[in-house]
Amino acid sequence: MSTEQITAPGAPSPSGETAARPGPRTGARSGRGPRSMTTRRAISFYVFAGPWMLGFLALTAFPLGYALWLSLTNSDGLSNNSRFVGLDNYREVFSDPETMSSLARTGVFTAITVPLTIAAGLLLAVLVNQPIRARGLFRTLLYLPAVVPPVGAALTFKLIFDRDSGAANGALDALHIDGVSWLMDPYARWVLVSLTVWGAGNVMIISLAGLQDIPRELHEAARIDGANAWQTFTRITLPLLSPVLFFQVITGIIAAVQSFLPLLISLDPTPKGVTAVPEGNYLFMIHVFAQYFANGRYGYASAMLWVLFLIIIAVTFLVFRLSKGAVFYAVDPEPAAKASRPRTIGGK
Amino acid sequence: MPMSTTTSLDRRRFLAASAGTALAATGLSACAGSAGNGTSGSGSGKTTLTVMTVQNEWDKKTLKAAEEALGMHLNVIIWDATKLNAMLAAKNAPDVVRGFGATETPYFAARGLMTDLDPYFAKSSVLKASDLDPVNDVWRYDGKKQGAGPRYGMAKDYSQDSMFWYRTDLFEAAKLDVPSATQPISCDEWLDLGKKLVKRRLGKVKVYGLNATGMGVFPQLMGMTASAGGSLFAEDLATVDFSSPEARKALQWYLDYAKADIGPSVTNPNPDGWDGPTYQANRMAMSCNGYWFGGLIGADAKLAEVSRFAPAPQLGGNRVSSCFGATGFWIPRDAKNKDAAWKFFEWYFAGKPAQERAASGWGIPSLTSLRSKMPQTSAFQKQAFQVQEQELPHFSVLSFTPYAQQAALEGVLTKVLPGAVKSGTSAGKVADTLNSRMNEQLAQGKELVG
Repeated sequence: MSTEQITAPGAPSPSGETAARPGPRTGARSGRGPRSMTTRRAISFYVFAGPWMLGFLALTAFPLGYALWLSLTNSDGLSNNSRFVGLDNYREVFSDPETMSSLARTGVFTAITVPLTIAAGLLLAVLVNQPIRARGLFRTLLYLPAVVPPVGAALTFKLIFDRDSGAANGALDALHIDGVSWLMDPYARWVLVSLTVWGAGNVMIISLAGLQDIPRELHEAARIDGANAWQTFTRITLPLLSPVLFFQVITGIIAAVQSFLPLLISLDPTPKGVTAVPEGNYLFMIHVFAQYFANGRYGYASAMLWVLFLIIIAVTFLVFRLSKGAVFYAVDPEPAAKASRPRTIGGK
Repeated sequence: MPMSTTTSLDRRRFLAASAGTALAATGLSACAGSAGNGTSGSGSGKTTLTVMTVQNEWDKKTLKAAEEALGMHLNVIIWDATKLNAMLAAKNAPDVVRGFGATETPYFAARGLMTDLDPYFAKSSVLKASDLDPVNDVWRYDGKKQGAGPRYGMAKDYSQDSMFWYRTDLFEAAKLDVPSATQPISCDEWLDLGKKLVKRRLGKVKVYGLNATGMGVFPQLMGMTASAGGSLFAEDLATVDFSSPEARKALQWYLDYAKADIGPSVTNPNPDGWDGPTYQANRMAMSCNGYWFGGLIGADAKLAEVSRFAPAPQLGGNRVSSCFGATGFWIPRDAKNKDAAWKFFEWYFAGKPAQERAASGWGIPSLTSLRSKMPQTSAFQKQAFQVQEQELPHFSVLSFTPYAQQAALEGVLTKVLPGAVKSGTSAGKVADTLNSRMNEQLAQGKELVG
């Protein structure tokens, strides 16, 4: 056994030098152990984080900053006569009835689709978690809509719900019921909600993973204690699944407020077609797109995007605050994070 | 000694370096874009010409033939309004861009984004101004109106877009006389025919009687207002006026048309997106599309047999039959290869492709010297040609505003009209709403253009 191996960290070595902390031998031998180790770890960290960092700066931070600058001008992206307008665009965002109603519509759309999608996905996850025959096939079939590209899904819905040649009205026709203009107001919003909820397979697959992570012993113990299926689900399954559901609520809200699906189920997904989106489906992002590319109001549209960005941050923060006490972590993330946090990162 | 002072790589330095690299990368990407479009873009030393156009006109065979004929490498970018805006804003413009001369020329020209092609026309031995069809005037803008001033582009072919095609079999089935081939019918007669030709079942339209707006609602209203002797735009093109008697008459006609639910409209758009498949499938009796639509019809002998062409219906006594497309190409001000782009112009607008287009029936050639090549073999082609020949003298340029894009004005119409149709709002009130909303947009554009 070598001297290095029996010397306690920090204690004087037989040679009179202070021993290095346990670690790679090369570092200890060179006499620059802690520094080399830290530097190496720092280098690895930055080598791995670097590409993301570059991407973040070039593709997120720079565009965000550029959009912020644009939002303070009346630029149309093409003319040389644009000027600084201060906060005028932001004032207009909050005073323009069309923008406010598109924002409110987006809020309603989010409030409807997020709970519906999560409930549908969770229900499907519970169903395909049962020991039934052909379970794998059901899982695949139910997950399939989630992997269909949104453009394809939107096209399918468009064909199904077309007033004059769609299958939905074909079914009504067979029952001698008058056809409905599904893709126009007031029905268009419900077609959009259906299209969104149709993609609940994503929620299902994540919830299924969460369900399978719950120890079976807990369910068995509950059953022995006399709990029925509903009690087991509400007292054991849901609390243990709550971190997974919470994650889906957050990502669901962010996806819903940024939804672009209305444009895909319109007849012409271009700047010209965006103006033909029915009012019921005229969500905030559609309005932003129209302002940019149909109306050429780059400054105003950039201000709208910044407002949306701030709203998303505020809503996320609010949901985090409201979820305290409703989300149960098997391991307390705070102490766990503290315990696992390295004492030195990047040489500090 | 604290580690942070001895470690060669600390957080601050790393972040600073990352930011620097990211900014450099952003800058370099712009340079790379420019270099890619430069004259020495290909390794062979050939010029690389960046052409932004639609995919269905540029298959591999066409591209290869173009490269051989021009002796240059073509970098074809699929036309996309958002991409074009981004490229123009970044001053990384394509060399040649496809566009709609009738509605886009004032917008881009007023912003100084187009190249004045007059010097090129002056020295060209292939494209001579004297050979240009009058429709090419929609590609001119003098700062105040369209149809005069420098030429900024050229149409590849065109149509008078308020004319219409009809199916004789559906007229026969409805026991109706077919429209005259020489005298235009009135818009009211047109609407009546549509009402008689529509076929419904349980609230659904099985066969559309009429599609009245092939190129969009706004251009159609422009054309109808002009035929009634008025104009939607004020003389300075900075405002619209839907309240004038002529414009209100046109608006009322459209509200009646949409309410009658006899064809695609703002309240019930055509799921096919355009008339082609619907007309082919015997689900539309009359389609408001110009001569170009005959290219589609002529490709199907059975369809051609039952299809005929008619002059543009008129709302008033001022016979007007305009063009709202004049699709062609223009050269951006920031294009890197303007001489090569002009070479492309000469080949595309006067060379083999132009002759083939003229003979195909997919539009009237934009050079008068090519007009004789228009197809006149079958009865269908002869009838279409004769009707078209009689319609040509009634062409006139209707100026479009430089202060807003057509999409912005269409957007207002599609937001305001559906509610008005449902609620039965009077044309006068609708006109007031349209004036207020469109003029607000036009004012914003005017402030930027100056």
